[in-house]
Amino acid sequence: MTGYPTDYPASAAPVVPYASWIQRVGAYVVDVLPIWILDIIGVSIGHASLSLLIDLISLVYIGYNRWYLGGTTGQSFGKKALNLRLISEQTGQPIGPLMAFVRDICHILDTIACFVGWLFPLWDAKRQTFADKIVGTVVIPA
Amino acid sequence: MYSVPEHITMFGTGAALVGSVYPMIMAHTGGQGIPCPLRTLTGVPCPFCGMTTATVALTHGEWATAARTSPLAYLAAGLVVATAPVLVARTAGRASPPRAWSAAARQRTGRVMAVIVAASWIFQLHRFGFL
Repeated sequence: MTGYPTDYPASAAPVVPYASWIQRVGAYVVDVLPIWILDIIGVSIGHASLSLLIDLISLVYIGYNRWYLGGTTGQSFGKKALNLRLISEQTGQPIGPLMAFVRDICHILDTIACFVGWLFPLWDAKRQTFADKIVGTVVIPA
Repeated sequence: MYSVPEHITMFGTGAALVGSVYPMIMAHTGGQGIPCPLRTLTGVPCPFCGMTTATVALTHGEWATAARTSPLAYLAAGLVVATAPVLVARTAGRASPPRAWSAAARQRTGRVMAVIVAASWIFQLHRFGFL
């Protein structure tokens, strides 16, 4: 059998092999907490060029952590901390930096649906967000 | 492995912690709560509008404000309170892992949630003067 198991009825309860929702929340918080803290500091200080600098630092950090590390190894800092791995559901391998970037863009859809997409892993058969479904990824215990 | 209510309990507890310090954060950033995408784009509230405000109110004992803003926050808080003992027991290794519900039970839960979310949406539409 190639790739990661994908075929079981969607009405059945999710099988243990997928990462639990709260673990993914934890991993995401670890990933973005530095950005939140930088943001709060930036807004508190309120200097325009400081905001720009913080935006740039955030972008480089996200690019390195979520797209490069997340795409090449399947483990951003957050996923590594929570023992998770992001893989393609077809190949069982990490998806590469470009697709990791596309996946993060697709998270906008999870948010636009009034954040419901972010809750989907709670009941979805493969514990996928909308972004996961579009890009064809699953998050598993490492 | 944890059941869905336990996930909600864990998240709710985290949200309550954040909610309790949120006014402090907001005081320094001049913000107003997590913006609703639907309301931002169209002006129409979604079923979950008011959850941030209601969570903050609940963690500060402002019961009436919370109820007026979003009754859904009370439902989430109720789940947290009801499920916390099970979560503690499970984490301490004193309870067996949750059993997955049958497909029929899951469907029924889905339908009940749909009714609850619809009711919350009507409440929010009314709160913002659309109904």
